[in-house]
Amino acid sequence: MFLSFCDGNGSALGWAVLITVVLGVAGCAKNYVVLLPNDDGTTGKVAVAGREGVTLLEKGREGAAIGGPAGKTFMVSDEQIAEDFGAALAASPQKPVSYLLYFKAGTDVLTPESQADLPEILAEIQRRPAPDISVIGHTDTMGDAAENARLGLVRARSTAETISQLGGSIISPDRISIESHGEKNLRVSTPDNTDEPRNRRVEVTVR
Amino acid sequence: MLAMRLLVLAGAFSLVVNVSSAEDAVIGYVKTVDGDAVVLVAGKATQAEPGTPLQRGNVLKTGKPGSMGVTLKDNTVMSLGPDTELVVDEYLYSPSDGDLKLGASMRRGSLNYISGVIAKLKPEGVSLKTPAGNIGIRGTHFLVTVEAKD
Repeated sequence: MFLSFCDGNGSALGWAVLITVVLGVAGCAKNYVVLLPNDDGTTGKVAVAGREGVTLLEKGREGAAIGGPAGKTFMVSDEQIAEDFGAALAASPQKPVSYLLYFKAGTDVLTPESQADLPEILAEIQRRPAPDISVIGHTDTMGDAAENARLGLVRARSTAETISQLGGSIISPDRISIESHGEKNLRVSTPDNTDEPRNRRVEVTVR
Repeated sequence: MLAMRLLVLAGAFSLVVNVSSAEDAVIGYVKTVDGDAVVLVAGKATQAEPGTPLQRGNVLKTGKPGSMGVTLKDNTVMSLGPDTELVVDEYLYSPSDGDLKLGASMRRGSLNYISGVIAKLKPEGVSLKTPAGNIGIRGTHFLVTVEAKD
């Protein structure tokens, strides 16, 4: 009975109003999931365990009762979302943002274009409450893998130092994590020993 | 015999050290707090503030009124509405080694969840448990509400 109210299904609507009045707010079992569209307009998928199987949500504002009948979904109104999730949505931290900075071949020297991107990264750090950042160094496939793991780390460290120096007190060093993926995580896939400027990079993520 | 005992002892000791270092690792930070919001570490509650570090197994708890937002190392974003309790029980984030896992449990309340890198690289490694059933995440933004079971 409660589930049919949660279904928001037209024929049950009249009953729903009645049930809500009779049972009050607690009348609707509040064990449900709603899928929302992503910021980029795409929508992912969520699998909700039901009584005899899994219910897959694939559309924006599509909902399913957790532990409800498998395959049964319903649409959730914006008003319902605001009522049940308004406070949770309002508390959402800003989504993390990532930047790519590029280097001159075999060095930890930023290209002039990437050097010019630093102020934007610093501004993003400053905009956020209690920011933390990660800096991941990468290389192209020139030279051997062990040497590139080291070079990736040198790039990540020098970028983190530059950000610390330019940023002053906006980010404390213990909120910066540094690592290297060396030549293991190419942005543009190439054979070994290939000079590729787009692979000589660090990824800075501001959270 | 003694040498063997020492070896066993050394092995047990290093195991303990490894486990504790994994538990001590920071997996994310509190970013937003409004009203009553605490982080429980081994049962002990401290008021949450923007910048409070989070470790695996910490309990995030909000009162009424209360809300809290956190961001994890893999860019997962979660925010809790009032009267909500959530634990990240499992967290492995080492993309270069392929170690990826995020297991959270929600006991009650409301949650806004935006998945991060772990869900993108290994969707089957991400799960959210609730008393009414589990939720599998395939890289996405969703909301969950769970009624208290008491």
